[in-house]
Amino acid sequence: MPERNKTVQQKLTELSELVEWFQGTDFKLEAAVNKFQSAEKLAAEIEKDLTELKNEISVVKKRFDSQE
Amino acid sequence: MDEVLLSVSDFVAVTNQTLEYAYPMVSVVGEVAEYRVSQGKWVGFKLKDSGAVINCFAGIYQMRTPLEDGMKVIVVAQPRLNAKGYFNLNVKAVKPVGEGSIKKGFELLKAKLDAEGLFAAERKRVLPRVPQRVAVITSTESAAYADFCKIVNERWGGLAIDVAHTQVQGMPAPDQIIRAIEYFNGLDTLPEVLVIIRGGGSAEDLATFNDEPLTRAIASSRIPTLVGVGHEIDHTLADMVADVRAATPTHAAETLVPDRGEIIRRAQAQAQSAGNLLVQAIDHYSQQTRQNLEAAFRRTQERLDATVDRLDALRGVVAQLNPEHVLRRGYALVRGDIRPGKVIEVEMYKKIITAEVQNAREK
Repeated sequence: MPERNKTVQQKLTELSELVEWFQGTDFKLEAAVNKFQSAEKLAAEIEKDLTELKNEISVVKKRFDSQE
Repeated sequence: MDEVLLSVSDFVAVTNQTLEYAYPMVSVVGEVAEYRVSQGKWVGFKLKDSGAVINCFAGIYQMRTPLEDGMKVIVVAQPRLNAKGYFNLNVKAVKPVGEGSIKKGFELLKAKLDAEGLFAAERKRVLPRVPQRVAVITSTESAAYADFCKIVNERWGGLAIDVAHTQVQGMPAPDQIIRAIEYFNGLDTLPEVLVIIRGGGSAEDLATFNDEPLTRAIASSRIPTLVGVGHEIDHTLADMVADVRAATPTHAAETLVPDRGEIIRRAQAQAQSAGNLLVQAIDHYSQQTRQNLEAAFRRTQERLDATVDRLDALRGVVAQLNPEHVLRRGYALVRGDIRPGKVIEVEMYKKIITAEVQNAREK
């Protein structure tokens, strides 16, 4: 199940940080497989979130054709 | 009919009453002449055509676009006879008509706002990359609005969009849009972006977006503004003062939110690149391990070879010490008591001889 408590933007940031970790000096082979699985999971969640999300469009009831 | 005797004042009042009844408001088209501003508050000019001329008066606040002599305008006004006997049009609204006058009005206001720095790049605010809450001002009956919604829904989700329905052309439009801008700017929680859109139209249709008070309202909005009016070739003062100008309403939708398909592809590519980096790292470590093993094997082999060589050398030495070799060279091995008369055994390479000692002396 996608993590609903995180926004898509947060997940995108997390994914970018994971990829940077692979290119950084903190890289350790022992941790890399788990990190890669996390990256794959995040990418899947982002796709699911973005596909499912709908916009809520509502027209303001207030009328603007007079000073009221 | 009985003759009614009126005072001058009464006559003026009755005339005005009649005018108000017959012509509560008139729209008159003509050319501006002798335009002047008094005390920074009052505007006076003559409106003329080839056959007639009439005086016009207005408060400066009613002038929504700068005027200049020679411009063709429509004046919306109340006809009045004043106490000094002059017949005037009390102007409520003025708008340029005809391509030349609209362009002239546009250029005059543009120069004025430019001088005030309203178009300066440093005033422009950056829109959030992915807004959560958006306000839109447009006519909800327009095709532009339908296009905008379609593109936004295709590209992104999770937005809360509040839409203010206003006219987007005609005399009432600027004030309606200004009220909508004020409404959104007065909310306790401000939207992150204020979008103003309108589809294409004639220069007169788009003139709403060259209205001075509207332009100033957009410029002073607390909410960052995104304005998409008309087609790509249309430039209005509203989009020039906006924080971000979109060429069309569709382009406004594309500017407002990223494309979810593109984001998904990018996320997948990022995960893929992490996988590639992992494979590269594994390859690198494997190669390093293989190289280390090969080096260890080479060192072991070298040591083994050295030991074998040493063993061979020792074997040679040991072989040299073998008595067989001595016997082969013609020497003999003597065993037994070597005192005279005793029997000894003499071992040669091929034979063993038994002999008696005849003599034994010191060398």
